[in-house]
Amino acid sequence: MKKSSRPECTAMLAGISAYLDGDLAATECAAIEAHCAGCVECASLVEGLRATVGLCRGIAETPLPESVRERARESVRRLLDDAARSASR
Amino acid sequence: MERLLIRAQEAAYRFSLLVCGHPEDAEDVMQDALLKTYQHVSQITDPAAFRTWLYTTVRNACLMKRRLHAGEPSHFESIDRGRESADGETTVIDVADSARPADERMMDGWIDRRLRKALHALPPAYRLIIVMREIDGLSTREVATVTGISEANVKQRLHRARVMLRRQLEPS
Repeated sequence: MKKSSRPECTAMLAGISAYLDGDLAATECAAIEAHCAGCVECASLVEGLRATVGLCRGIAETPLPESVRERARESVRRLLDDAARSASR
Repeated sequence: MERLLIRAQEAAYRFSLLVCGHPEDAEDVMQDALLKTYQHVSQITDPAAFRTWLYTTVRNACLMKRRLHAGEPSHFESIDRGRESADGETTVIDVADSARPADERMMDGWIDRRLRKALHALPPAYRLIIVMREIDGLSTREVATVTGISEANVKQRLHRARVMLRRQLEPS
């Protein structure tokens, strides 16, 4: 990923995460999109970062391995059983 | 109650595995989170506050593990710049992976190896932010509460972490 040294690209880079997070106003988004339409490097950077964010968010949607989930369930059952037994004494 | 405890354990495991990178430690952190959550559960009145409490607890448990095992390198090199040799050539920093083969298989089945290595190439402070914001879905404010840094700092680190991660994921 090359860093552009053009001032307009540097300014664009500063707002890129806010843009990807939907934190920018419509006019600021439009300015970034207009810049990217004419700048291959920045367009590629935006797409690259968008893909990276998408990959990370994909992990959240992938359940943990079943073996781990079963151990979690088993530990909870054991803890609650122990607590119930202690309470009944 | 049972569902809350299971969810807390799973969150603790995922966080610990992604941040610390050691499945055995993640198991311990998961157990620790279970006991602490059980003890804390009666005080839960606000689900949002519970989330920051849980992540603060798990983060502290991970830090303790890291101190005990000293599994992290003693210093970090900037992956922004890579490693520069005497003749000025820059090479990409490769990250050692100390997991056992069975753990490797388990983790490969869950998360793409390239992404896992790229995450572990990030300096811990940046990895922490990426995991909490992008993967666990905490808000900027929640991450700021857990880490004790300002929201502006969280945003700045998140941006840098994304750029570093993207660079790691680029084909060499």
